[in-house]
Amino acid sequence: MALMPKRVKYRKYQRGRVKGNATRGNFVAFGEYGLQSLGTGKITGRQIEAGRVAATHYLHREGKVYIRIFPHRSVSSKPLETRMGKGKGEPDFWVASIKPGTVLYEIGGVPEEVAREALVRVAHKMPIKCRFVKRRHAG
Amino acid sequence: MVETLVLKAQRRESKGTRASRRLRTQGQVPAILYGHKEEPVAVTLNYHDLALELQHHHRLLEVELEGKKQQLLLKDVQYDFLGDKIIHVDLARVSLDERVTVTVEVVLKGTPVGVTDGGLLDHILTEVEMECQVTTIPESIKANIANLKIGDSLTAGDLVLPRGADLVTDPSATIATVRIKGEAVEEEEPEEAAETAEPEVISREKTDEEDKS
Repeated sequence: MALMPKRVKYRKYQRGRVKGNATRGNFVAFGEYGLQSLGTGKITGRQIEAGRVAATHYLHREGKVYIRIFPHRSVSSKPLETRMGKGKGEPDFWVASIKPGTVLYEIGGVPEEVAREALVRVAHKMPIKCRFVKRRHAG
Repeated sequence: MVETLVLKAQRRESKGTRASRRLRTQGQVPAILYGHKEEPVAVTLNYHDLALELQHHHRLLEVELEGKKQQLLLKDVQYDFLGDKIIHVDLARVSLDERVTVTVEVVLKGTPVGVTDGGLLDHILTEVEMECQVTTIPESIKANIANLKIGDSLTAGDLVLPRGADLVTDPSATIATVRIKGEAVEEEEPEEAAETAEPEVISREKTDEEDKS
């Protein structure tokens, strides 16, 4: 089941454009290893879920997977074979806006090689280029 | 004490984003020195030398500013959006007999008995705060977890700290625990019907009430 908000202030959003780099959520905060985005884009709730399933399936329920992003924005679409006009379409799916540097997933409690392989599998499900990162410790 | 490089610092007059950016392209890092009730001084450091010091986990840096050497404690490091490049550092003036509060990494050593019995190790707290003398700040605290059985936990109070160091973190805080495999809360599989469900709109309730009145 794809992720989506429980309550929203507005159902529909204007398309907009994702600009700039991530200034928040751009370091590994919960686990030991993470998957960091190198590009800009939008990740749908289904893609996020696909990534989670890929990671947990590879880990055989070992370790812990953290999802650091959430699809807050709706994307609307018009029904098929509809003439133009008659207002904006209905919300179709939900997306998370991603900027370069955003940490998408984190994994903890498993060795590095296992986490790396799991996150490579997650990266294949993502629509943007990603890389494997480790937690930066104090000092 | 670990041998450190002497970082050469130059006072910087130009401040702000554009001036700092220009410095970074020239292989310099903007930094600030403060503390001990003296005026803060904006300086620049050589990127390569600073990166080398950080790579070796040195906390106490020896900085030469206008011919005068001084010991400075690394307070904060700012990285770029990808977490690769250092873009700014905060350095605090300290005297060598001073006690400071620092965050130190906890490294777990050994394979717990519980893990060989089929359990899973959870490393919950990876860093602890401690108060110690400036010259004795450890790179990391090593904790032996070989004796942990399934259901056992290692708390911050169990850590063996260097002589003269005091723990600032709550001693009852769990550092690591060994749990039974598959004990972690399994996420509920939501029903298929929920796929098409739409989120509740916050403003709708309010407008309905207004309509009634």
